[in-house]
Amino acid sequence: MNTPNDNLRHSAPARRGAVSRSVLIALALFVLLGGCSALSYNGLVDKDEAISETWSKIGVQYQRRAELIPQLVETVKGAANFEQETIIAVTEARASVGKMSLPSDLSEGSEELATFMKAQQQLGSSLSRLLVVSENYPALRANESFLSLQDQLEGTANRIAVAQQDYTEKVRSYNSKVRGIPGVFIAGAMGLERKTQLEFDPVNQELPTVDFSNFGDE
Amino acid sequence: MLAKLALLLCAFAPAASSSDVPKNDGWVTDLGDMLTDSEERSLEALMESYKSGTTHEIALLTLPHLDGEPIERLSLEIARSWGIGGAAANNGALLVVSRDDHELRIEVGRGLEGTLTDSVAGRIIRDVITPDFKRGRFEPGMRSGLMAMHAAIGGDYGPIERTQSARRKSSSTIRLIVTILVLLAMGLGNRGGRGGSNWPLWFLLGSSMDGRGGGGGRSGGGFSGFGGGGGFSGGGASGGW
Repeated sequence: MNTPNDNLRHSAPARRGAVSRSVLIALALFVLLGGCSALSYNGLVDKDEAISETWSKIGVQYQRRAELIPQLVETVKGAANFEQETIIAVTEARASVGKMSLPSDLSEGSEELATFMKAQQQLGSSLSRLLVVSENYPALRANESFLSLQDQLEGTANRIAVAQQDYTEKVRSYNSKVRGIPGVFIAGAMGLERKTQLEFDPVNQELPTVDFSNFGDE
Repeated sequence: MLAKLALLLCAFAPAASSSDVPKNDGWVTDLGDMLTDSEERSLEALMESYKSGTTHEIALLTLPHLDGEPIERLSLEIARSWGIGGAAANNGALLVVSRDDHELRIEVGRGLEGTLTDSVAGRIIRDVITPDFKRGRFEPGMRSGLMAMHAAIGGDYGPIERTQSARRKSSSTIRLIVTILVLLAMGLGNRGGRGGSNWPLWFLLGSSMDGRGGGGGRSGGGFSGFGGGGGFSGGGASGGW
């Protein structure tokens, strides 16, 4: 009993099924794309947060280093005729660092950042020089409170180096995500930009290894 | 059978050496060959007991040399990649000793930085470990250094598992006795010219081998991998001897 009417009646639901199927596919694609971009956006935000967190860790260690210096200077002054220039260099560098706070603008060409980094580097190198010079003063080498300060300063320097290394790594990972797919679309739409790497002081990174070559050889 | 075993070993070898970070080998990883087997086992028992009493994870690594790398970078990388310390607590620490460079470092996880501070770590290196090292006493230096780290962090030791070293010791005495007996028997056999009566000795020898196989698993001391934390930010101290 296949009448034309029957055929019509059968094809209507079929067409409706096809329409709803394509709507479903479109919806699924939309949700998938939306989900993907949301995930990718969230990933970028997380990475951005991690960068800020590492930067503030660097700041904390800079702060700690600055706090330890007055004590160190006092202890070193106690040693008979300690090289004055070295002490003055450290004291001055400490004073100029003390006037600054951790910059929040980390973009390329930020003057605040440049002067901050320069002052920190100056402090780092004058400090490492002082610690090297102290090797020549047996009275200091036997002074437990000096040794403890040295341990703390070297520990701080090492933490700074580690945090800087982590910072560089995190910026690299963020940038590769911003430039890759799908990050590049999301970042474009949301106005996220690549981050510039900071140039950290190599002196800092070497400080912990400077001291020990002739340690305890006397 | 042997060929199969060799093939299997070859298949695993590249996988083990593909990473820069040395492979972990329990609480004590003695790549610098500075400890005897029994010293290593007894240190491992000490760390395992400390872990079971406090959940803190303290590991020891000796290296033959640093290959020109700063010890700070190496020890940080290793401590992170081994995942020493609990995943949330990051309560791990690592003592690294480089044999040829005469350098050592205590790397402290974030969770222990409050008690095992940089200056405490420095004092342990200066006053506890290196005085022994300077006289070539490596095991006592490492042991007292590790115990000083434990003391700084605090907490009690858990029950020390003595099965491992005890069983090992007894099996090695059995082996000694068996060796003497075998030597005696060989002397007797030569004199008497009859080899057939030696079967009890071979039996004894065999059973002592069995004992060795049973007690020999080095992980039997309880080391079941680190907690996977690896939260290290460069705390600790370095030194030399």
